[in-house]
Amino acid sequence: MSEQAEMSEQGKVTWIGKPVPRREDRPLTAGAGRYMADIEMPGMLYMVVLRSPQAHAKIVSIDTDAARAMPGVHAVYTAADLPEELKPFPVIWRPPVLKDDSIAALASDRVRNVGEEVAVVVADTQQIAEDARELIRVKYERLPANVDPIKALEPDSPRIRDEWDDNVAALFPFRNGDVDAAFAEAAHVVDGHFKINRHAAMPMETRGVVASWDALTETLTFWSMSQAASLLRTELAKSLDLPDNAIRVMTPNVGGAFGAKWDRYAEDLLACVATRRLGRPVKWMEDRREHFQSTVHAREQIQDWEMALDEDGRILGVRGRAVADLGSCVPSSGIGTQWVTGNTIPNQYKFENYSADIIAVLTNKARAGSYRGFGGPESNFPMERLMDKAAKELGVDPAELRFRNQIQPEDMPYPTATGMAVYDTGDYPGALRRALEMVGYEKLREEQPKLREQGIYRGLGIGCYVHCTGFGPSAMLGMINYDTSGYEGARIRIDPGGKVTVYTGMIPLGQGTETSLAQIAADSFGIDMDDVRVVWGDTSQTPYTGFGSGGSRSNLAMTAVMNAAEQLKAKMIRIAAHTLEASPDDVEFADGHLSVRGVPDSGLTMPEVARIAYLAHSLPEGEEPMLQTQQVFDPPGFGWAYGCHVGVVDVDIQTGMMDWKRYVIVDDCGPMVNPLIVRGQIEGGVAQGIGGALLEEMVYDEAGQPMTSSFMDYLMPTFHDVPDYEIDHLVSPSPHIRGGFKGMGESGVMAPAAVVANAIVDALAPFGIEVDELPITPNVLWRKLRDAGAFEDGRSAASVG
Amino acid sequence: MKPAQFALDTPQSASEALALLSDHGDSAKVIAGGQSLVPMLNFRLVTPERLIDINGLEDLAYIRENDGVLAIGAMTRQQEIEASPVIAAAAPLLAEATREIAHPSIRNRGTVGGSLLHNDPSAEYPVTLLCLGAEVEVASVRGNRTIPVSDLILPWFSTTLEPDELLLEIRVPVAGESTSQAFEELARRKGDFALAAVAVALTFGASGAIEKAAIAGTAGRCAQRLTEAERALTGEVPTDSVVGAVAAAAETEIQPVGDIHADEDYRRHLVALMTRRALAKAIGDRAGSKED
Amino acid sequence: MTGERKISLRVNGRQHELEVEPRLSLADALRNELGYTGTHLGCEHGMCGACTVWLDGKSVRSCLMLAALADGAEVTTIEGLAPDGDSQHPLQAAFSKHHALQCGFCTPGMIMAAADLLQQNPHPSEEEVVDWMGGNICRCTGYRAIVRAVMDVAESGAAPPASDPEPEPSSVG
Repeated sequence: MSEQAEMSEQGKVTWIGKPVPRREDRPLTAGAGRYMADIEMPGMLYMVVLRSPQAHAKIVSIDTDAARAMPGVHAVYTAADLPEELKPFPVIWRPPVLKDDSIAALASDRVRNVGEEVAVVVADTQQIAEDARELIRVKYERLPANVDPIKALEPDSPRIRDEWDDNVAALFPFRNGDVDAAFAEAAHVVDGHFKINRHAAMPMETRGVVASWDALTETLTFWSMSQAASLLRTELAKSLDLPDNAIRVMTPNVGGAFGAKWDRYAEDLLACVATRRLGRPVKWMEDRREHFQSTVHAREQIQDWEMALDEDGRILGVRGRAVADLGSCVPSSGIGTQWVTGNTIPNQYKFENYSADIIAVLTNKARAGSYRGFGGPESNFPMERLMDKAAKELGVDPAELRFRNQIQPEDMPYPTATGMAVYDTGDYPGALRRALEMVGYEKLREEQPKLREQGIYRGLGIGCYVHCTGFGPSAMLGMINYDTSGYEGARIRIDPGGKVTVYTGMIPLGQGTETSLAQIAADSFGIDMDDVRVVWGDTSQTPYTGFGSGGSRSNLAMTAVMNAAEQLKAKMIRIAAHTLEASPDDVEFADGHLSVRGVPDSGLTMPEVARIAYLAHSLPEGEEPMLQTQQVFDPPGFGWAYGCHVGVVDVDIQTGMMDWKRYVIVDDCGPMVNPLIVRGQIEGGVAQGIGGALLEEMVYDEAGQPMTSSFMDYLMPTFHDVPDYEIDHLVSPSPHIRGGFKGMGESGVMAPAAVVANAIVDALAPFGIEVDELPITPNVLWRKLRDAGAFEDGRSAASVG
Repeated sequence: MKPAQFALDTPQSASEALALLSDHGDSAKVIAGGQSLVPMLNFRLVTPERLIDINGLEDLAYIRENDGVLAIGAMTRQQEIEASPVIAAAAPLLAEATREIAHPSIRNRGTVGGSLLHNDPSAEYPVTLLCLGAEVEVASVRGNRTIPVSDLILPWFSTTLEPDELLLEIRVPVAGESTSQAFEELARRKGDFALAAVAVALTFGASGAIEKAAIAGTAGRCAQRLTEAERALTGEVPTDSVVGAVAAAAETEIQPVGDIHADEDYRRHLVALMTRRALAKAIGDRAGSKED
Repeated sequence: MTGERKISLRVNGRQHELEVEPRLSLADALRNELGYTGTHLGCEHGMCGACTVWLDGKSVRSCLMLAALADGAEVTTIEGLAPDGDSQHPLQAAFSKHHALQCGFCTPGMIMAAADLLQQNPHPSEEEVVDWMGGNICRCTGYRAIVRAVMDVAESGAAPPASDPEPEPSSVG
């Protein structure tokens, strides 16, 4: 066996739960991965996009003559050249409160953000296409731009959509219990004004597509890195007036996505139109500057929250408002992320009264869509800051205040204060307790005052989180007006030689899909992982999936694989029983071997049964030949993962820079299929959370010009910026999922912003500063310290080293 | 993100390069390591008609010490400066600052001359070479001239180099026995351009007083000598209160520029702080070396 | 001359003669002209490190290098790092063992940077690894798994020492 397996006590091979190194790694470490940019075809043409340099302007005229005349240029398209059948992409998540909007392929009369698509050039080489793009002349008439989402709410602010009567795309109200009564009787009220910074998923591979039209068969092969291939196929079919079955969406290796590749994009349509018109394969690869301007941003919200507590520090209610900046149009996910923010404010805490207005507003910035965590980090930050503010107000340790309010294991299943979520399982206080124990909380608290005397400002920050996983129940998606399904399918074929092939609709984005599903299938049949192949990335072969990869849905695919394996095992048992002349009830299936109970040596191997099934010379009556099945799993409920992070930082008050001392993580995603992969997902998520908290921000100037269009100005965390992660796990299986697995792809990113802010505020407690705006830059911290008088009494830079 | 078309010349000698510069200086760019120029080409922020590649001028890559002068060829790679025992002894400040430049794979290719002439306000070489009182020798078909670095660098990525001139050599006075040098900078992430940087070179007298102080700083606009700070230190024994006065002078005279990463007040404060820290390091090193 | 110019590159021990526009980057020459697609382009402005290759034995960013300026050079890419076709460089195995890659896009650049460190300094401290690798961005792993992988190889001493980076005289253009 090439991969590590262990024998269980029953002598059975088991793969689930083992830190199996990934089968994806060998080619990827050898440089043999095949990413979009690596796909080349004979006769291929290259498309580039001319984008708006204006944040908000009327298009007066476009002159493409010089570009069209350049040798090597095959086509230049503007909106005026587009065929009528090129329909814009609809929004997928459309609650009734959301105004109509869609994603158009090219701007026709008006541009609404820097980076909006205005024209495309298709040429023999990338270089020629870029040269010709320079020759297109567009005349703009500038309009005033909206950059600040709060100002965009004002009645006289410049309008983004003329057909709307304001800039508000949606106001979604959450109302549960009697929140005003809760505040009326409160002993304590704490509040905060929070800013969640605009940042982005920023995968290392930019977007790209290859589209190839075959005029003879009238079929389109579309190489895409979309996280939602099936959904994209259906939408392309609608937009291009083709039947679904004329489109084959293929997925190469994808260099990271994190939500950014879930949205639908103009270039998808434009490349298809170009290949249909020109009859040659067309490739478009986004460059990094375009990625900054045109791939979805995320997270930006301005929030005001109040929390009411009784004398003992028990939460009575929470109320507030979140204003989300969607950018210049409603993304494919609609107001999904913002809805999740409103729906996860209660976090791990028990209370009943809740009121929130979630307001989504358009501005002249890049559109804001999905990013790992999908609205969760945006609720975790304010709620966990409020917990620390409340602890301060009550003079209680922040850990203790959390213990007083956490939902207990025996409360599960627990309907939360939003009235729209039911937590399934979990030991929230257990996770907090374990994290405090790992970090040595009490000892650190004792050391803090002594360290301060030495000029070391050390702080501890706690962040508890929940994470809605297995984003699936289709009926639930329907109830919240999500215009797609949530189930996940798996097809298994056992070939005549007895080897197993699993077909999945999951799109691997780096999360180890092949390895995990092979582990599941190998365990289901009790065979070696090497005997399982996993096929993905081809809508002509793989099962339909309405949602695609994202929403921490691997557990749904795993359940589908298990169910499909059960079907085939049952069939093999029937065939073996028939061959061995035994009752199916007496045939056992263990370690890929079928035998009559009590006569282990009597049996048949999987290859032997497979041969019988394919030969079909002697099958039980009514049994179909061959061994293949497809199973679809639509979960009955969400699996809620959760956990607790505790960070320890030292703040240099002279510079406002901080240093990681410790970072402790206790996570519960139910039973782990592959602890190595789980660890990787958590660590990567935490790093992204830290990046968003300390470094990353998409900055626009007042005219709507992006100030961060390169990695020089948009600062990604790198090796120096992350802590050593100390990780432990609790295990609370989900009742909704076979195997009890919860998703875990997004857990890591939920709490870091709160952890960082809480730790910094704790470190700087002697100065009494609060940190409610992200990112927390050294400049901002230094200014807060200065304004708090930290440098008086001989503490200024000029007098103390 | 591909560059616009340009012509490429690959002269194999300085005189060939000078002839090309004489003919095309106004429309050409010289490419040395290319670590700053190529990104600008890729973004099409610069679109020169012609690039003159001077990587063939191998005799411009050297580090020599002669008669109290350290001479560094313009094409010397930053990695060679970082690793050179000659530099470590003769201009430890330069070695220290070089380690702060970007990352190893950039320093493998980037040259000292290219970085100095690119003159990014936040770059390490302009501020350190200014502090060290370095001068450069430049050539054109019209002849050679020597320019003190203080006269070479201008704000906003500009220099006084003429379009037809080529940088040949950087000359730095060798650090004496009784000198101590130090460099401090602060960047958002390690390897990024500095929000503020300060270089100091001190010469100690027998009494422990500082005979000569050179202090240079930068905070987003241009490297500048901090002459008031130097004056506050010269002739003084560097007590805490003297160092405080020096930092205060630096804070006052630095000309900061704010951007999305740091505002002017913060940069000004950082220059004071970096001054303190650099002085502490230099004074500490001096004390340490005396104990040896 | 704006036209094509002839250059020779020795890539992973194989000699290539090619004609390139002056503006073609070494990364594009390796990927598009010669098919070494293991070298990835993540930013094309020298900030992410995904395109790291070795030029005459030292790591450089191939997006910041014009192909014409590499004329006559010896280039090593991820495809040529392992001593022979079937085997793995110890870092390649260690990256898998420690789950130091997820999407794999930054991985070739990471491995080329780390291998350069280990050939120069076979037993770096963890701090030295972090300092050396700081210019390579990974969005998936959170970096510590990469540090663990490099340290594993550093501590086991499995990395091959620096081979003679001097190109053969005949290959100098």
